[in-house]
Amino acid sequence: MSTPVTVPSYRPGSRIGIVFRKEFREIFRDRRTLYSVVISPLLITPLLFALLGSLINKQVKEAATETYTVGVVGQNRAPVLSKALAKLPTFRFEPTTPDRAEEQVKRRTLKAVVILPDDADTSLLTGKTVKVKVLVDSGNESSRSASARLNIIFNEVGKKIVAERLKASGLSPEYATPFKVDEQPISSGGGAATVILAMMLPYTLAVAAFGGGIYAANDQVAGEKERGTLETLLVTPASRRDIVLGKFFAVAAVCLVSSLLAVVGLMIPFFSGLRVFEWLAKGGVTLTPIAILVILIVQLPLAVLFAGILLALSTFARNQKEAQTYLAPLFILILFPAMASMFLKSESARPMALVPVLNATLIIKQGLSNSFDGVFITIAFLASAAYAALALTFATRLFQKEGVLIKT
Amino acid sequence: MIQVNDLRKTFEDKKRGTIHAVDGVSFECCPGEIFGLLGPNGAGKTTILRILATILTPTSGTASVAGADIRTQPALVRQRIGFLTGSAAPYERMTAREMVGYFGALYGLTASEIAERSKSLFDELDMNDFADGRCDKLSTGQKQRVNIARTLIHQPSVLFFDEPTSGLDVVSSRTVKRTIRRCRDEGRTIVFSTHIMSEVEALCDRIAVIYQGKIAAIGTLEELREQTGKVAFEHVFLKLIDEEEDE
Repeated sequence: MSTPVTVPSYRPGSRIGIVFRKEFREIFRDRRTLYSVVISPLLITPLLFALLGSLINKQVKEAATETYTVGVVGQNRAPVLSKALAKLPTFRFEPTTPDRAEEQVKRRTLKAVVILPDDADTSLLTGKTVKVKVLVDSGNESSRSASARLNIIFNEVGKKIVAERLKASGLSPEYATPFKVDEQPISSGGGAATVILAMMLPYTLAVAAFGGGIYAANDQVAGEKERGTLETLLVTPASRRDIVLGKFFAVAAVCLVSSLLAVVGLMIPFFSGLRVFEWLAKGGVTLTPIAILVILIVQLPLAVLFAGILLALSTFARNQKEAQTYLAPLFILILFPAMASMFLKSESARPMALVPVLNATLIIKQGLSNSFDGVFITIAFLASAAYAALALTFATRLFQKEGVLIKT
Repeated sequence: MIQVNDLRKTFEDKKRGTIHAVDGVSFECCPGEIFGLLGPNGAGKTTILRILATILTPTSGTASVAGADIRTQPALVRQRIGFLTGSAAPYERMTAREMVGYFGALYGLTASEIAERSKSLFDELDMNDFADGRCDKLSTGQKQRVNIARTLIHQPSVLFFDEPTSGLDVVSSRTVKRTIRRCRDEGRTIVFSTHIMSEVEALCDRIAVIYQGKIAAIGTLEELREQTGKVAFEHVFLKLIDEEEDE
């Protein structure tokens, strides 16, 4: 033991940083944190999109090439139409009766049934409308696909018949098409993939920020209580304010890292050029520098808010298990506004700017659709900052309560 | 130096009502002395130490620790004390060196001071073999040595030991006791809390027997034997708390 009993030198003001650095470094040494903060946000979204993409590609391919067996009621009464139907590719038509038709669709021996009226051929030849019914099982994907394909084919055949009728009457085919509308996407607007991104990104980002911070916050206070290490920290000259702020900044930083990686993870499918993501990227993503800036900035109040809430909860709980119990309903509370942003328009009513989480996610949506509402953004930032300050004040106050910190 | 004057701490419990965890405790402890707090579980020993370490605030009463008042100068008290409990584990994902360095930094030591003092403590506590290994890989005894180094890194003048040998084997217990004696020999003021009679007999210069939040008796081992007329310290203790001896 070296020579003793001197009052050590004192270096004030740096203890928040000391606690922050220790917590931030230690948290990334845990495999569970690495998974929830790094691996999960970075890889889960691309993997899901890749899986979804391959499934969709497979289904689309099958839907285009699969031959559907479709029943026809009244085939004998309409030989002209039946002959025309028999020529259609990727369909096999089988005669059936009205009383068996529904049962056959239900049992899936037939994908759908076309019911031709008694006067089908007569109507067709005399220039009248043939009223065709298609029996379909709405709960069966194949049945709906068969019906949709029949609908397209009847429309195409119908157009040809109209053209022939007009020609026979000495009229141009354009006579039946007074308008032809062509959609021309503007160069600065978002592509189809931007719409998907605008739906997914705010939700993913909020969930990643919250989910990433859960383990860090739980470990840093409830975990320390459980392991008895908090008491040793409380007997150091670091004030409780220093300790809680150091831990708070560490949790906020973890939330921020997690949400940033989630953004990167979500961008991979759109910008990697990999074949498995072709179905997404071909829609075209438009991300302006301002949109990227907004996405980055909006994460800050979100991370601060989540860190405050998570730390307060972890401080209140007696151990990590109890903290987990409190977290379950809270996660739903966070998920709800995050999910709501998927369905709300980016140019939502301004009072929405006061709703925590939802306000941030709507700003991201605005960023992606290049339709910024300055007032909305200002209100949202002020509200988020106020909520974050409230959460942090609550956590700091809890940290002053000895009954909450120490088991007596 | 520690001076404790009529210290009281009450807790409110929904089921049990008001609990007097510490009920009018007064004592003094001088530099170079090991002062024992002996009592059964729940007697109030840990609460007394937590109040003196400023983790808890007293309901009433005063105390001065290393020349600082626990009520008005809690930060100064914490700067001058070391607190070791048997129930606290070191940080699992830190190495012993990082753990000691972290606490050194919190006590305001410079990097060179931390390095110098760590080296000295690691040599004395025979920690060099595991100083750079993660704490979760260490044995219980090695973990407690890390805790001792963490407690002593800032060379505190007052030390509180709260059942520091809890869960340790004989060899590790001996290391802890040896450290406590050395600290006493260096002139530090030591309060040692335990419920193990043999540790009190082996270590303490004076003893306060704590029972139900109060000091049942205070004095040297010999004084307490004289007071009770008993020789075996277990019998002395039971006599002092008015429990029937199991002869």
